[in-house]
Amino acid sequence: MAVTINDRKYSKSVSENRTLLEFLREDLYLLGVKEGCGEGECGACTVLMNGKTVNSCLVLAVEADRTVIRTIEGESKDGKLNPLQESFKKHHATQCGFCTPGVIMSATSLLERNQNPAEAEIKEAIEGNFCRCTGYRQIIDAIAEAATLLESEVKK
Amino acid sequence: MLYSFSYYKPKSEIEIIETLKSFGDDAKILAGGTDLLVYMKQQIADPKVLVDIKGVPDFSKIEIDSSGNLIIGAAVTCNDVVENQYIRNHYPILATAAKTIGSYQIRNRATVVGNICNASPAADMAGALLVLDSSVIIATEKGNREIPIKQFFVGVKKTSLQQNEFVKAIRVRAEYKDAEAGYLKASRIKGHDLGTCNVALSRGKNGTVKIAIGSCNITPVLLPDFDSTNIDLANILTTAMKNIKPIDDLRGSKEYRKHLVQVFIKRLLNGKGHSH
Ligand SMILES: Cc1cc2nc3c(=O)[nH]c(=O)nc-3n(C[C@H](O)[C@H](O)[C@H](O)COP(=O)(O)OP(=O)(O)OC[C@H]3O[C@@H](n4cnc5c(N)ncnc54)[C@H](O)[C@@H]3O)c2cc1C
Ligand code: FES
Ligand code: FES
Repeated sequence: MAVTINDRKYSKSVSENRTLLEFLREDLYLLGVKEGCGEGECGACTVLMNGKTVNSCLVLAVEADRTVIRTIEGESKDGKLNPLQESFKKHHATQCGFCTPGVIMSATSLLERNQNPAEAEIKEAIEGNFCRCTGYRQIIDAIAEAATLLESEVKK
Repeated sequence: MLYSFSYYKPKSEIEIIETLKSFGDDAKILAGGTDLLVYMKQQIADPKVLVDIKGVPDFSKIEIDSSGNLIIGAAVTCNDVVENQYIRNHYPILATAAKTIGSYQIRNRATVVGNICNASPAADMAGALLVLDSSVIIATEKGNREIPIKQFFVGVKKTSLQQNEFVKAIRVRAEYKDAEAGYLKASRIKGHDLGTCNVALSRGKNGTVKIAIGSCNITPVLLPDFDSTNIDLANILTTAMKNIKPIDDLRGSKEYRKHLVQVFIKRLLNGKGHSH
């Protein structure tokens, strides 16, 4: 299969019975993509496929042929966190960190389709991401502040 | 890791039929995979061959046919429906029901057609499509056939699809364009659990009220039509209770389900659950 992941092109053979999650973690060592439940419930495996969030545990690797994938590994550039990631740090929106890559990908997709999300829209965007640590408040605040920052950047 | 199977992604309807024919019972259609891959992981299903229908470009379309009916192709996802402006304007109940399914990520993959083909008694799209008098367009070896959606559900996870057939689209009648319709669902955890029960209700321009009830019988249930010019609430509630056989399970008791159904019907008759 041919796939673009975090701006890099890959051409690899993969057997039909492997999920996109297994392909990303085991073949490409993109270990930021986590496996929690393996059944679409927890969202730890969330990545962007052609700009849309998907549960990579419920996508076959072969289904990702000729798509563009983004994972958490592509979000920081030159060792620098992006504004959303900075905001997570500032608001202590990460505790154990297991859910964080998935939550950030869900939030990234939200902010790309909606620059000014209401709190209800933030909650809807992360409804498929379980966090066992933070209680979500910090996560919601972090996403809300990142949205304000990004909006003011656009205005500048 | 999943057991081994083979994967095909045909580019046309005919190729899909040919692939189904050559593998018979070993083959299963793969749409969004949000039910099927879970069943395969849990070893509830073990198809040897997956036939991905997402390779047929037409199947991803939401279109209007020459008679003004809405056509929803087999690869159209729940989020496609939620985000479609025409549907939001003219058939908002479809967007409302689609939005209650799973999480945002799930809705990016889960198809409307997969939801009805999976034929869970709790399927959220079933009720909404039933009260809009929709029909199911089925591709067969001998061309297409079309049946009313109420004939499609025959049991728990059982449809009236025959061997070597698959659903290519759903047709929603233009007669129900802009009709008043609403959807109410109770669930324990939004995004992670099927509904405890759900009710869909429409008032057609022909003066009929249609009511569909989910998670209260082996299939989603469509009640006989009622007259919208002469609403007899007691009769509607009695008919509803006669047509459902809810069970006790971890999501709720049968009494609780019966109670919710009555509350939902009353609310929907009063115009609740209608806005998107
Ligand atoms: C975390 C989670 C939450 C969920 N929440 C809900 C919910 O709230 N409400 C709800 O109703 N569902 C829910 N579901 C179930 C599921 O997401 C939906 O039923 C979805 O619409 C199925 O569509 P799919 O495209 O993923 O189907 P698939 O999994 O691809 O297919 C489902 C079944 O239908 C068959 N099939 C698919 N397309 C066709 C076709 N065109 N012709 C013939 N057969 C076909 C397949 O062979 C398979 O047997 C949830 C699932 C998960 C994992
Ligand atoms: S691992 Fe994919 S949703 Fe939990
Ligand atoms: S930070 Fe631990 S699960 Fe979210």
